[in-house]
Amino acid sequence: MANSLLSRAADAGGALLGRLQSVRLPGVGTASAKDDPATAARRWRAVTVLADPGRLTELPAPLAALGDRVETRVIPAPGDKGTELAARYRGPATDEDIGRLRQALREAKQLVEVGEVLRMDPRPHGERAQTPGGRLLDGAVAASRREGVL
Amino acid sequence: MRAVTWTGINQLSVEDVPEPQLLNDHDVILKVTRTTTCGSDLHLLSGYIPFMRAGDVIGHEFMGEVVEVGKGVRDRRVGDRVVVASFVSCGACWYCHHELYSLCDNSNPNPGITEGLWGQAIGGCLGYSHAVGGYAGSHAEYMRVPFADVGSFVVPDGVPDDRALFASDAASTAFTGVDLAGVQPGDTVAVWGAGAVGQMAARLSSIVGAERVFVVDRFPERLAQARTHAGAETIDYTTTDVAAELREHTGGRGPDVCIEAVGMEAHSPGPQGAYDAVKQQLRLQTDRPSAVREAIMACRKGGSVFTLGVFAAMVDKFPLGAVMNKGLTLRGAQVHGPRYIPRLLELMDRGELVTEHLATHVLPLEEAPRGYELFKEKADGCVRAVFTPHG
Repeated sequence: MANSLLSRAADAGGALLGRLQSVRLPGVGTASAKDDPATAARRWRAVTVLADPGRLTELPAPLAALGDRVETRVIPAPGDKGTELAARYRGPATDEDIGRLRQALREAKQLVEVGEVLRMDPRPHGERAQTPGGRLLDGAVAASRREGVL
Repeated sequence: MRAVTWTGINQLSVEDVPEPQLLNDHDVILKVTRTTTCGSDLHLLSGYIPFMRAGDVIGHEFMGEVVEVGKGVRDRRVGDRVVVASFVSCGACWYCHHELYSLCDNSNPNPGITEGLWGQAIGGCLGYSHAVGGYAGSHAEYMRVPFADVGSFVVPDGVPDDRALFASDAASTAFTGVDLAGVQPGDTVAVWGAGAVGQMAARLSSIVGAERVFVVDRFPERLAQARTHAGAETIDYTTTDVAAELREHTGGRGPDVCIEAVGMEAHSPGPQGAYDAVKQQLRLQTDRPSAVREAIMACRKGGSVFTLGVFAAMVDKFPLGAVMNKGLTLRGAQVHGPRYIPRLLELMDRGELVTEHLATHVLPLEEAPRGYELFKEKADGCVRAVFTPHG
């Protein structure tokens, strides 16, 4: 029972972070209308990479791994900002699909700009108390590479 | 190894944790020789930044000796005595290329959290919650430093540890504010907060040419340090009307530049303080912004207000009308360490910037919980508690 509760807390943490991106409270966030899920799923998602467009002729591995389901667009960014690398699904996409695309775009940018993807584990830490609040945060952290406004 | 961990709201522990490892090619491992409390740690302790996990190692202002080097590191060597920037910066993205290091695109592995909070993710910060990466902190015997060529700096032989240490965060944060607020020769500058960052902001304002510098606080020993070590004039906000004092000293104009170095737990006498405290406790606002409000109201028309203190999210009763109608420039930033640390080390080497007086309590790592208690309560004249993990 306790394990089940902790597991549900972690799942809730990930879900909560996902919802945070679209929350609309009075006085918080934007005043604009909100995309319906189908429109949101079809939006181009983009990172700007500080590199010449030629560096992106061949798609970085994390993005290439998504295969033909994804279409990409590479255009020079205005000013001195490098290259805009955008991608979206050709067909319907789930929240999980979109999360994978966000992570792939972020990792692609890192690979081109710094040559490697930041690793975090194992990292030193003390005893992790297994509380619902702690597992909620674990779930949010685990989801955070795949969440965000990207 | 031994490390200081956050175990719950207002709870710290010193416990055995695994040693860090090289995880990326650009990492070094540092033997931590000095690591200090920072006012922003108190927000973690108090539970106002809810992205801490029990067991997290805290601490982000530190120095040490390089003991292991990743294969992609070019400029650091085993044995280097270095001071390290608190924010992690890749050195390769557009923001790093423009010296906006704390806005690095590639150093926060948990971007979903701050994108949700602020619309964009900022860079990662060592030992400062999972919202900015979840990196293990510096209150430990050893420390992983990512992108070490960008964020670590060899300390000149003539600069002692207790001076160099504060280039890591306090002095570099202060320089960020002084520079980006646009302090000019001849300016009058007012600084809210006489902690380490506030004192450094006052001193650096003088170094870049400010004619008069005022520091506002309520603790006599901190105000005395600001007078002695920063050459500032001081105002105790519990005994006088700060804006009126500043008008009186500036020919009725108000300061040209107002730097807020207090943050989200500002104290304030009277009903405003009670109002902010209640709203913060009820989570109807996340931050207590009384020093920022006062800075905006006190600043001269067309002047500049800079928020250096850490804020989390939302504030109430913000005088936006004064910002707009007085034509103020309002700016804030986390510390762009690599932009300023080299210049700070030069100033320290020439003896123009001294910081040793800030280290009022130097303690072994095992006494860190007591050090934080002293620091939080400002007890025994504590300005900063400095820990020495290797004695």
